[in-house]
Amino acid sequence: MILQNKMCAERKAKLNAIKNHPYFGFVVITFLMLIVQLLRVSGLDIPVVLLRAFGFTMIYIIIALGFSILLGYGGLASLGTAGFVGVGTYVVGYLTNQFEMSIFLIVLITIVGAVVIGTIVGFISLRIEGMYLAIITLGLSEILKEVFKNATTITNGTNGLSLGTIVIFKQAIELNHNAIFIVIALIMLFIMIITLNLMKSPTGRALLAMRNSQSAAQAMGVSIFKYRLLAFITSTVYALLGGVLYMTYIGFSIPSTWSLGFSLNILAAVIVGGSQSIYGIVLGTFMIFGLNLAVLQQIPLFVENPAISVVFNGFLIIAVIMFYPGGLIRLINSMNYKIKTNYQLWKKKRRAYIYGDDPE
Amino acid sequence: MFITEGFWRSIILFILGLVVVYFILNVTVFKKLQNKSKAQNILLNVFVFLGVLFLFYKLYSVIPEIINPPQFYAQNILNRTLYVCVLALATTGIVLIFKTSNTTNFAQGMIGAVGAFVAAKLVIYFTATYTTMGNTPMILLALVGGALVAFLLGVFVDVVIIRNSKMPTVVGKQMITMGLVLIFTGVIPLIFGTIPMSVPKLVYGDNIAFTLLGLELVITPNALAALVITIVVLGILFIMLRVTKWGLGVRATASNEVVASMMGVNTKMITAMSWGIAGLLGGIAATMWAPNTSSVGVDLMIPTQVNGFMAAILGGFGSFVGPLISSMLIPVLTGLLSFVALGWENAVVYAVILAIVLFKPLGLFGKQVAKKV
Amino acid sequence: MATILSSVKVWYLSKRLISHETKRNFNKNFLPIKKTELIENFNKKIELLELKKKNELLPNEISAGIQSDFLKREFETAIQELEEKYYWKNRALVQTLKRKNIQSDEELKKLVEEKQVLLDEIKNKYYPEEINKDQKEEFVAKCVAIEESYAKKAEELTLKHNAKLEEIEAKTNHAIEMRDAKISEIKKQLAALDVKVDKGILAEGELLKLEDLSMHFGGLKAVDKLSFTVKEGEIFGLIGPNGAGKTTVFNCITRFYKPTSGKMHFKNKINNTVDLNELVVHNIIREGITRTFQNVEMIWELNILENLLVAAHTEYRSGFFGHLFNSRLLRHEEVVIKSKAYKILTDLDLLQYAYQYPMGLPYGILKKIELARTLMVNPKLIILDEPAAGLNDVETDALAKTIHKIREEYNTTIFLVEHDMGLVMEICDTVCAISFGKKLAIGTPKEIQNSKVVREAYLGGE
Repeated sequence: MILQNKMCAERKAKLNAIKNHPYFGFVVITFLMLIVQLLRVSGLDIPVVLLRAFGFTMIYIIIALGFSILLGYGGLASLGTAGFVGVGTYVVGYLTNQFEMSIFLIVLITIVGAVVIGTIVGFISLRIEGMYLAIITLGLSEILKEVFKNATTITNGTNGLSLGTIVIFKQAIELNHNAIFIVIALIMLFIMIITLNLMKSPTGRALLAMRNSQSAAQAMGVSIFKYRLLAFITSTVYALLGGVLYMTYIGFSIPSTWSLGFSLNILAAVIVGGSQSIYGIVLGTFMIFGLNLAVLQQIPLFVENPAISVVFNGFLIIAVIMFYPGGLIRLINSMNYKIKTNYQLWKKKRRAYIYGDDPE
Repeated sequence: MFITEGFWRSIILFILGLVVVYFILNVTVFKKLQNKSKAQNILLNVFVFLGVLFLFYKLYSVIPEIINPPQFYAQNILNRTLYVCVLALATTGIVLIFKTSNTTNFAQGMIGAVGAFVAAKLVIYFTATYTTMGNTPMILLALVGGALVAFLLGVFVDVVIIRNSKMPTVVGKQMITMGLVLIFTGVIPLIFGTIPMSVPKLVYGDNIAFTLLGLELVITPNALAALVITIVVLGILFIMLRVTKWGLGVRATASNEVVASMMGVNTKMITAMSWGIAGLLGGIAATMWAPNTSSVGVDLMIPTQVNGFMAAILGGFGSFVGPLISSMLIPVLTGLLSFVALGWENAVVYAVILAIVLFKPLGLFGKQVAKKV
Repeated sequence: MATILSSVKVWYLSKRLISHETKRNFNKNFLPIKKTELIENFNKKIELLELKKKNELLPNEISAGIQSDFLKREFETAIQELEEKYYWKNRALVQTLKRKNIQSDEELKKLVEEKQVLLDEIKNKYYPEEINKDQKEEFVAKCVAIEESYAKKAEELTLKHNAKLEEIEAKTNHAIEMRDAKISEIKKQLAALDVKVDKGILAEGELLKLEDLSMHFGGLKAVDKLSFTVKEGEIFGLIGPNGAGKTTVFNCITRFYKPTSGKMHFKNKINNTVDLNELVVHNIIREGITRTFQNVEMIWELNILENLLVAAHTEYRSGFFGHLFNSRLLRHEEVVIKSKAYKILTDLDLLQYAYQYPMGLPYGILKKIELARTLMVNPKLIILDEPAAGLNDVETDALAKTIHKIREEYNTTIFLVEHDMGLVMEICDTVCAISFGKKLAIGTPKEIQNSKVVREAYLGGE
C-alpha cells in the first residue's frame, strides 16, 4: 500500500514535470498546426486557404518573435521589419533562380546577410533612440522597398519575383506545400524554444536591465553597445529567416507587400499579444493575421466586404492598447486566475453540498 | 541628356573626405580643446551644410550647357512648389502632435484623406446645386469644409481615444494611431462609396511667367494659390504659437507636460486643439494634393506621410522651423535627383537623411540635452 | 618596442590569470552543489529500493508468520484509508438523508456493515488466522533470498554512487590543481617579466588613488583638482554640502563621466594597478568596483533574485550560443550563482523577498537590495551613493550594522557619500570633506568634526 501510494505520487510528479516543462506548450502549438496539415494529407477536405493561413501565421510568428526580443526585451522600436523580410525573400529567389544554389547554402548566406544588416542598424540605434529610431528604420525600410522596385535585374521590379524549383543537395525539387508546411512548423518550434532560452538566460536579463535602467545595466557590466547589436542582429536574423520561409512556401514576392503596413502589423501582433511572452506573441499573431486569414475570410459577410475585417483589426488593436496595455496574454492570465479561483470556490461549495456544512 | 558620368563617385568621395577630415580633427585638435562638444557641433554643422551644398552644386553641374543651366535648375526647383506646400503642412501637423502628445501620429495622413474626401463630396454637391458658382470659390469652400471636418476628427481622436487609454506608453500611442489607420482604411470606402471622386485644382489657367534675377521662370497658378494658402495658414499658426495663450501652452506642454499641468495650463485643451489643428493642416494638404491623382483614394497621403516623418526627423522634432526647412529640402532634392537617378530619387534622399541623422541624431536643428546619472 | 611588447604580454597574461581564477572558483563552488545533488538522488533511490524490497517480502512474511514493523505500518495505512473513505461516504449519506428528510437509519447501518466486511477482509489479508506450518520454512527461505538479492542491488548502487562521487571529486580536484598550477606558472611568468605591475603608483595597502581630478561642465567646475587615497579595507566617507560634487566624483571613478583632467588608479582583483581613465564604463565592474545609485535603479521587470543574477552578469562564462541552446555550462553556472545569491539574500535578511518584484517594496528594502546586488561579484571596492537617503533612524542604524558586516564578511573596502553626519561619523574610518569640488580636509571623523574649515563650509563663514 505504502509503495503503491509512493509510486503513484511519483508518477504524478513526473507527469506534472512534463506538463509544466517550459517547452510543453510550444510542442502542443506545433502539434495543433501539424494536425491541420496531416488531416489535409490524409484526404480530408480542408480548404487550401485555411492551410495557407496557418502557414503564413507560423512564418509571421517567427518574425514577431524576433521583434519581441527587440521591443519587449531590448526596448527598441523598429519599423524596418518589412524591408528585412523582403530582403530574405529576394535573396532566396535570386540565388535559386540564377545560381541554383542549395537551399542550405542560401540560408547560411541569409544569416550572414542578416548579421551584416543587423550590425548596421544596431550601430544606428546607438546614436538614435526611441521614436526617432522607429522613423529612421522606417526610412531604411523605404530605401529597401525602392531598391526592390528599381533593381529589376534582381527583383524583377514591380511585377514580382517568382521562385523556380528549390535545390536541395544539388537536386532540383518541385515545390511541395505539404512538406514545406511541416518544415515551417518544426522551424517555428525550434525558434520558439531558442527564443524562450534566450529570454530566460543572462542575455535576456541583461537586455531587460538595459531597457529598464541604462546606467544600472552599465554599472553591472552590461555593454549597451554589445546588447543593442545583439538584439538587432537576432531580430534581423529571424526576419530574414521568415522571408526565406515565406518565399519557399509561397514562391512569389512583390515589393508592395513589404511596405509600412506589414511592419505595423507585426508591431501590432507583438503589442496586442503581449511583448514579453511567447504565448502572447502567438496569440497576437493569430489575432492580427491568422484570424483574418483563416476565419474571417471564410465568412461570406467578410468576403464581400473586405473592409470590415480591416476595421475589426483596427478596433482590436485600439481596444487592447486602451484597456489592456499588457497585451491580451495578461487578460487571459488574469481570466485564468479568476476561473481557477472560481473553480476552487465551486468545489468548496460542492463539497459542502455533499458532505455537510463543515468540510474540514 | 545629363552628364551623369563621375557624379556618384565625386559625391561619395567628397562625403568620405568630410568624414575622414572630421575624424582626424576629432582625434588631433578637439582632444586638447576646452569646449570640445561645442566646437565639434559647429564643425559638424559646417560639414553637413557643405555636404548638402556640394550635392546641390553637383546636381547643377550635370545639366548640359545647351539648355541654360541656371534657368533650368531654378525652374525645376520651382516645379516642386505644390509638393513643398503639401509637405510643409503635413510635417507641421506631425510636429505639432509630437510636441504636445509625444507621439508620432500615423493617422495624420488618413485624417487628411478624410478631409479630401469631404472636399470632393462638397464639390460634387456644389456643382449640382449652385451651377453658377465659379471654380475657385467653390473649391475654396470645399477646402474649408474638408479642413473643418479633419479638425473635428483630430479633436475626436484625442478626446475619445488617446485620452481614455490606460497608461499609454509612447509606443502604445503610436500603435493606437496605427489602429486608426486600419479603421479609416476600412471605414472610408463604406462612408464615401466606391465611386471614384476627384477634387479640381484651386485655379485653372495659363502658366504665369515672371523674371527673377534675369531668369525667365513660369509657375502654375494652382501652385501659386497653394503657396499663398500655405503661407497664410502657417503664418497664422506661427503667430498663434508666439502670441496667444494657446501657443504658450503648447510650448509649455512640449517642454514638460506634468509641470505645465501643475502650473495651471489646461494641457487637455491644448492637446485636443493641437490634434485638431494638425488634422486641419492635414486636411488642407490632402485637398491641395488630391488633384494630382486621378481619383481620391485612401492611400492618397501615405507617401507624403512617410516624407513628413523623414522631414520631421531631418529637421529635428524639437523645433518647428527645422522640419519646415527640411520639408522644402526634400521635394526639391527629389526633383533634382531625377536628373541623375530616375526612379531612385526617394531611396537616395532617404539615404542622405539617414547619413545626416547618423551624425546629428537630433536633426539639423535639434539641441542636445545633457543626460543625468 | 620592448616595453610595448612586454606590456602587451602582461596584459595578455593577466587576462588569462583572471580567466583561470574564475574557472577555478567556479569549479570549487560547483563541486559541493553537484555532490549534494548526487547524494540526494542516491538517497531517493535507496529509499525506493528498500520499499520495494519490503513490499516483495510482505506476502512471504505473512505466510511465514513473521510480524515486522512494515507489516504493521502497511496494515495501519490500509485501515486508515478505509476509515477515511467510509467517513466521507457516511457524511455524504447523512447529508442526503437530511435533505430528503428521511428519519430512518437503515441505510447507515448498511454502510457500517459494508465497512465491517471490508475491515475483516483486510485483517484476514494481513493477519491470517491459520498459517500453514509446513510451508513456513520455505517462506522464510524465500524471504532470506529476497533480502539477499536486494542487498546485492543496494550494494551495487552504493558502489556505483561512491565511484561516481569519487570520480567527480577527483576530476574537479584535478581540474582545480591544473588551474592552480597554471595560475602559479602565469604568476611566475609575470614576475619573470620584471615589469612593475603596480607601477609604483599605489603604495602597499592603498586601493584607490585620485590625483588632481577635475571635471568641468562648461564653465562650472564640479570637481576641481581633487586628490585623495582610499586604503584597503577601510570605510571611506566623502562628505560635503549640496552641490559639492560628491556624486560627480563617483561618476568619474565609475566612468559615467569622463573627467576633464586628472589621474585615477586602482588596485584590481589580481593586485594589478589599473588606470581607470583607460577603462569603459561597463568594464569597471570587472576590475572589482561596484556601485549603487542615489535614486534606486532597479530592474522593475525582474524579481529580486533575478536582479541579483543580473548583477552577476560578468561572472557568466557561457556565451550567446550557450544561452540560445541552454547549454550545460549555463545550467551549472546558474546553479552556482543562484546559490550565491541566496546566501547573500540570507545574509542581508532579504530572503523573503526573493521572488517578489521590486515595484511596491519599501524604499529601505530597495536600498538594501541594491547593496546586495553590489556583493554578487566579490568586489574589492563598493561605492555607495547616499545609502541612507530616504531612510528613517531605525533603518539607518540597521544600515550601519549591515555596512560593517559586509566589510567584515566580504572582505571589501567601502567608499560612500552621505549626508547623514551621524552615520558617517559612526562608521567611517577616514572622512574627506569637499566643497565646490575642492578638498577641505581629510582625516579621522574626530579630526573632521573639529576642523574649522569644514564647519565654515557647512555653516558659512563668520
